[in-house]
Amino acid sequence: MASTIFIVWRESIEAMLVIGILYSWLKNQASATALDKKNASQGMRYLIAGIGAGVLLALLLAYIMLKIQTELASESLDYFQLIMVLLASVLIVQMVFWMRRHGRHLKQHLETGMQQASEKRSYIAMAVLAMIAVGREGAETVIFLYGTGLSQQQHLAIFISLAVAGFILAYLSFWLLSKGTRYFSWQLFFKVSEALLLLLAAALLVDSVDKMIALDWLPTLIDPLWDSSNILDDSSRFGGVVAAFTGYRAQPALMMVLVYISYWLLIKLWMMRINSTSAKQTKVVKSDSQNRDLSSVQNKAIES
Amino acid sequence: MNTPLLIKNIFIVYLAALTLFCMVNTAQAKALPAYKLTIKNGHFEPEVINVLAGTRFKLVITNLGPGPEEFESKRLRKESVIAEGVTRSVVFAPLKIGEYHFFGEFHLATAKGKIVAQ
Repeated sequence: MASTIFIVWRESIEAMLVIGILYSWLKNQASATALDKKNASQGMRYLIAGIGAGVLLALLLAYIMLKIQTELASESLDYFQLIMVLLASVLIVQMVFWMRRHGRHLKQHLETGMQQASEKRSYIAMAVLAMIAVGREGAETVIFLYGTGLSQQQHLAIFISLAVAGFILAYLSFWLLSKGTRYFSWQLFFKVSEALLLLLAAALLVDSVDKMIALDWLPTLIDPLWDSSNILDDSSRFGGVVAAFTGYRAQPALMMVLVYISYWLLIKLWMMRINSTSAKQTKVVKSDSQNRDLSSVQNKAIES
Repeated sequence: MNTPLLIKNIFIVYLAALTLFCMVNTAQAKALPAYKLTIKNGHFEPEVINVLAGTRFKLVITNLGPGPEEFESKRLRKESVIAEGVTRSVVFAPLKIGEYHFFGEFHLATAKGKIVAQ
């Protein structure tokens, strides 16, 4: 019975985490300046549209999984899932970097048309990310709830309440994280969110590399490179959660280890590049806008 | 500002190469040795599947219920939700000699099994 709560929690926490962070971020943007407010409320609409599209996607995928019979359909579903996982990973990384750059931009940059256009593109990416986050795991939740619900007609009421408890627990998990902003600073909340998102993107990358190895598209090189299942078994309940949020594998192939290391190196490089370009920009804008509202500029600079 | 453009182009080429590689690779996959696996009452049947090492093969999984099951194995790199009454075939890359455990995520306590590659 406890497994019902756990499975629902596990299937919904990922989507809640991604959406929750995007939501908090947009809300924080909205409280910054009047111009940001207009942008952020537009972003919020995109986010909600993405969640809606995600629910539809989850139902559609669940329907396909219920009706699937042919080999071709089964294969196509595998490819589709691979694309979704890979795309989600890329979009999360893009989102993290977009937030980072955004935090460092000064408001006058937003007034140009080009900036607005790129803003719109980012919101679309955000909507797609929300859609995949909800759709991917949502489909499995639907199958689990619908299927198990049907097979447990005598205990249906208990089952439904357990499932609801799982959702609530997932929401509480996120709520706890977001309440962190109350007690800590926004910067700290943002840093923690950023780390969680990058880890999640790494986990999704590992997942898609696994899928590609399983399809024989990528060689394993050495498999397994090591076996740490004595320390942390990735098939246990706790190990599974660690695997889902960090990309941990107890018996990884050399290929996987190489991909994982390259991922973090690339992230590190990108971060360094963003930091150096935005430092230059801040200097230029500061000297440009001496007769503008200097204090707000400085505030922004300090914030970032 | 030419470096981002360059990186973008490199990525596009990589992706194109990968796609081509995949197309060639999938074209040769047919007529694989198949093994049956049934899920019933939270158990796998059979719990031990002997397969040939070093050859691609497929597992034809049928879920007789009650309820859905998720066939999962980190070692085998598979994760597949199978609704009640559904039959799905899952293709595996060639395995080295050894034992590979799998389990049913929705019935962790009872649904366990392994593939033995010989």
